[in-house]
Amino acid sequence: MPRGADQLLLPVNPLFLWFSLVAALVFNMLPLGRVPAMPDMLAIVLVFWNVHQPRRVGIGAAFFFGLLMDVHQGAVLGQHAEAYTLLSFLAITMHRRLLWFTLAEQALQILPVFIVAHAVSLVVRLLSSGSFPGWTMLLAPLFEALLWPVVSWLLLAPQRRAPDRDENRPL
Amino acid sequence: MPLGTLDRRPPPFFHQGPSALTRLAVFSAVALFLMAADTRFSVTRPLRAALAMVLLPLERVLEIPMQLTHASGEYVGGLHQAQADLAKAQLALTAQSAKAARVDTLLAENTRLRALVDLKPALAVKSQAAEVLYEASDPFSRKIFIDRGATNGGVVPGAPVIDEAGVLGQVTRVYPLSSEVTLLIDKEAAIPVLNTRTHQRSAAFGADGNALELRFMAGNADVKVGDVLQTSGVDGIYPPGLDVAKVVKVDPRADSSFARIALAPTASADGVRHVLVLEPMAMQLPARPAPEPEATTLPKGQKPIKGTKK
Repeated sequence: MPRGADQLLLPVNPLFLWFSLVAALVFNMLPLGRVPAMPDMLAIVLVFWNVHQPRRVGIGAAFFFGLLMDVHQGAVLGQHAEAYTLLSFLAITMHRRLLWFTLAEQALQILPVFIVAHAVSLVVRLLSSGSFPGWTMLLAPLFEALLWPVVSWLLLAPQRRAPDRDENRPL
Repeated sequence: MPLGTLDRRPPPFFHQGPSALTRLAVFSAVALFLMAADTRFSVTRPLRAALAMVLLPLERVLEIPMQLTHASGEYVGGLHQAQADLAKAQLALTAQSAKAARVDTLLAENTRLRALVDLKPALAVKSQAAEVLYEASDPFSRKIFIDRGATNGGVVPGAPVIDEAGVLGQVTRVYPLSSEVTLLIDKEAAIPVLNTRTHQRSAAFGADGNALELRFMAGNADVKVGDVLQTSGVDGIYPPGLDVAKVVKVDPRADSSFARIALAPTASADGVRHVLVLEPMAMQLPARPAPEPEATTLPKGQKPIKGTKK
């Protein structure tokens, strides 16, 4: 059974949705230096909302956030935009199927999507004369897939609250 | 019943806009256009500057937690570190003071000698201090962002950036309130250098893994491990005499007529917080004289000599 097997979810709060996207952008912008294996939090959150709310967060939003990342990193304008566009498209095409699986199985299915996004970035940069960052960059999509269950659990938590609160269930 | 009274549109339930595939095609095309425009033309510059301005407040805010962690580390590591630093700084100062005392006499002597042989006075370099905002997390390039831009510091594209040890890089993009500096160890970077031992000029290029390399040097060229390379000043950008790198490995390859020469940059790219942005030398040179009108009485078949390409 899909996610509704155990409970019905509350409708999403659009404010929370956009706040989570901006928070992911901020996480990506943390000045932690240059780590090729750093998971792209914005990509995970984008895919999450593409899967859960494809009518609200679509390919256009992914494109715009990609542009912001490009400017922040000083990368070729359009590199992240292209990667996120593709990521978003793949997520939207699989969103009906994905939610029938458990979180671990979802992570397994979402892994190739992240790999494709990173491969697009790599190809774009090697074509526009960037240097190869080293093999540790292969770990980034793996970390992203591993973070998928965590992020899913966190971002769905507000929708799992009780519709009618009582003293036994205050949240 | 007249036509048009019936609503023939599908009910709003089916309104989904263009399909995902259509959107993918559209946005991919826009992204491809942007990539081409960004690498080949300069039409995307205003867009980039606008987005950079939007992101700048966020970047400034995100700097605070990093500074706090840095400061708390210093607070805990505290006194011993500070004393060690002080001792080191005093040693460096003693070493430099002898040199500095000589420099004054040399400068005076140099001015007199230059006046004697009627040379133009050496150019004085204008500089400006800047703080490093963050190092770009882009794994494909080596860039840092500084907090001085076109409007709050008059930074121009191409300006050299140095720290206390030597040349760090060059400004490649200027936004209104910040600028992007490409480090010398970026694959795209190149800098003309002068070997201080042999006075041979060559060009150093960025290489993988925090290093530079000296390209196009013959296998039997006089380059030894430990040679210090400085800016040569022939490029009209970097002032001459700034430390750039030191030779760490010379490998005369049998399969090529060029040697593989690895360099270690003098300025460390990691952990630098304050830098100095210099004005490109070419901006201080006198303006290029206006081209004379081309002679119209050239013999037939002879082309007018064109000015050298800038």
